[in-house]
Amino acid sequence: MIGAAWRRLVALLRSPRFATVLLLVLSGWAIVGGIVPQGTATNSDVMAWAAAHPAVERYARAVNLHQAFTNPLFFALVVLLGISTALCAWERTKVALRRSATLHSAARSDAASVEARHDIEIVCDPSLSAPEAMAMAAETVERLGIKVRAQDGALVSVSQRWTAWGSPLFHWALLGLLVALFVGNAFRAEGLMGVAVGQTVPDARASYGVVTNGLLRNWSGVHRSVRVDAFEPDYTLGGVDRGPTPTVTVLDANGKAIKTQRVYPNNTLKTGGLTIYPNAFGLAARGSIVDASGKVLGSGFQIIDFSQEASGGTVAVGGFYVPNSKGEAVYDAQVSVSLERDAGGWIQSMPAQPAARVVVVSRDGSTVLDRVVRKGEIVSLPGSQSFRLDDIVYYARLQVVDDWTIPLLYAVLVVALVGLSIATLARQQIVLATVVESPNEVRFLVRVRLWRNAPTTRSELQDELTRALGGNQKGSMT
Amino acid sequence: MIVEILLTWLALTLYAVSTVLVVVGVVFSNSRFTSWSVIAAAIGAVLQTVSFGVRWVRLGHGPYLGFYEVAGSLVLFAVATFVVVAWRNPRLAPAGIGIMPVALLLLGGSMLAQGEVVEMTAKLTSWWLILHVAFANLAFGAFVVSFGCAIVYLVRARSVDGKWAKRFEKLPVQEVLENLTVRFALLGFLFWGIMIATGSIWANEAWGRYWGWDPIETWCLVVWIIYAVYLHVRFTLKWTGVRLAWFAIIAMPLSLFALVGIPLVFNTPHAGIGGLGKDL
Repeated sequence: MIGAAWRRLVALLRSPRFATVLLLVLSGWAIVGGIVPQGTATNSDVMAWAAAHPAVERYARAVNLHQAFTNPLFFALVVLLGISTALCAWERTKVALRRSATLHSAARSDAASVEARHDIEIVCDPSLSAPEAMAMAAETVERLGIKVRAQDGALVSVSQRWTAWGSPLFHWALLGLLVALFVGNAFRAEGLMGVAVGQTVPDARASYGVVTNGLLRNWSGVHRSVRVDAFEPDYTLGGVDRGPTPTVTVLDANGKAIKTQRVYPNNTLKTGGLTIYPNAFGLAARGSIVDASGKVLGSGFQIIDFSQEASGGTVAVGGFYVPNSKGEAVYDAQVSVSLERDAGGWIQSMPAQPAARVVVVSRDGSTVLDRVVRKGEIVSLPGSQSFRLDDIVYYARLQVVDDWTIPLLYAVLVVALVGLSIATLARQQIVLATVVESPNEVRFLVRVRLWRNAPTTRSELQDELTRALGGNQKGSMT
Repeated sequence: MIVEILLTWLALTLYAVSTVLVVVGVVFSNSRFTSWSVIAAAIGAVLQTVSFGVRWVRLGHGPYLGFYEVAGSLVLFAVATFVVVAWRNPRLAPAGIGIMPVALLLLGGSMLAQGEVVEMTAKLTSWWLILHVAFANLAFGAFVVSFGCAIVYLVRARSVDGKWAKRFEKLPVQEVLENLTVRFALLGFLFWGIMIATGSIWANEAWGRYWGWDPIETWCLVVWIIYAVYLHVRFTLKWTGVRLAWFAIIAMPLSLFALVGIPLVFNTPHAGIGGLGKDL
């Protein structure tokens, strides 16, 4: 009983009708997912849509349509599609094997084999001799777009064996694509990392401001770091402004540079599975805490983002902490930089005379220092320590993607397109013909299989040959 | 600029003339009119190509940015495909009755909707753009010819009194016409697939992700799936005849909507084809 149910299930999953319905359901789902705004419940587009369509929203929320493409239901449909594709690919492989064998044997046919096995038989006009009939038939078939050659007393047009493999190759590659997508998403990590010019940041989860990763991502296996060597706010190449462009270096575990290059759209830094894109930029202040003897207790970068709404045009992201002699944080310090202004608002670039506003707050919330500091200036903090503004530089927010499956995806895509090209463009056909002369009549015999991309149809071929040979059909046999 | 506009208007006029000629040719069963309609379409395509060439020199980039350029190049590829098909097989010239009106309306619409010129930016400066757009145009050209063949098939199949069948009598037999419809859909399916693949690779280079379920990406996938369904019903479920022709007729406008309709309806970062340009 279980065996029968299993067979029924496999038959269902293998059936072309099921595959067709599944494809239609998936496209319907994608259309709905394209219409309904995508995002979490707090997303502004989702909230606006929900407010505008309260009746529909109830159902949309019930099936989680606002996350249509990460939804378990969508995932289940894609898994079903994968299974159906695998079974379909297997069926097509069996067909291709048979067809390939048929093409192979047909290519070696001679007059006797066509006489023994044919589909169309035409009794030629009595005035035609056998060679004349062959010549006229060859001309007719070629006029219909099928090139024939003479071989052992027969006219032969047989496609190459590889032409049978386009469709299975395409379907297996589609399955490979689905598998690669799932594997890629399981191992992939993607995030935004702010790196100031001159700063080196380890490629670790904690270094990212925003990061997402797959279930099987292993951060402990990553031993490399990212450095920004330079930053050009307006890099122009070939007459096209490439936008704010950092020069980025990826270093290995020993600090050795693996690759260095300018990073701008369509010129990403790639090394192994790692790809680095430019995302945004801002300013960064490098500051140090020094003790009374001038010894540097610690130094670091403060990321500063541009903001038209903020006073001075920038906001500090994160901050320093000021340690005591035991290294314990006793103050929090934040640094922002005042930008220059024009009629359009704050000019989002390095001011001509950069200066930083340093605000130091004690752990009880009271402000102990709030003043503007110039580059290289040292200001005293309560106690024996001082803050030194070492530099104000640009920082690049880099989008860092680690996904080793991307080259694999591209390779599978290429295989899929090769398979599809073969299935689309290559003919799969067998046309074998010969003439048999007897004392009473001249018969023209044709064996024909027009499986795919043939320029004519069997009935047209039959009609045209009958007309050309001035005869009548004696019937078909296989 | 004046030469460019003048040439485009001339091309549009010739597409209109071609449309009228093919309709007259079919209605009055006059093959001379249908032949002239192909010649008018060919001259129109040449003029439109020259117009795009002039524009290319003026702007420094090909006709693939902004609604006017994208819609115009779709028209050019569709008409050129039809002209090549009709030139190689003159019996197919009456299929222009389904193709030239689409070309006429789309080019006219794009000229009326002509917006601001989209300049090249860092994200658009890529060879992938050219490949991506070229295959979109080729795919649309193939889908439109498939659509034209399906319309003629349908008209002939539904001609109860045989009057319309007689008007299309010079066309290949229905079976051959159906095969042509399927073959052009198959070709369009291949080109559309290449368009999606090249777009995906380019998106990974420019945006940092190969797929983002952006409305255009989603709709392009939907169109590809719809044509996959079409090919499945043809090759595995063995659909033939009128219902298969209807399928080809319904599928083509979906591809048109994906290419030029989506940017008008949805907010999409595909600014190159007339989106709101959030992410140029």
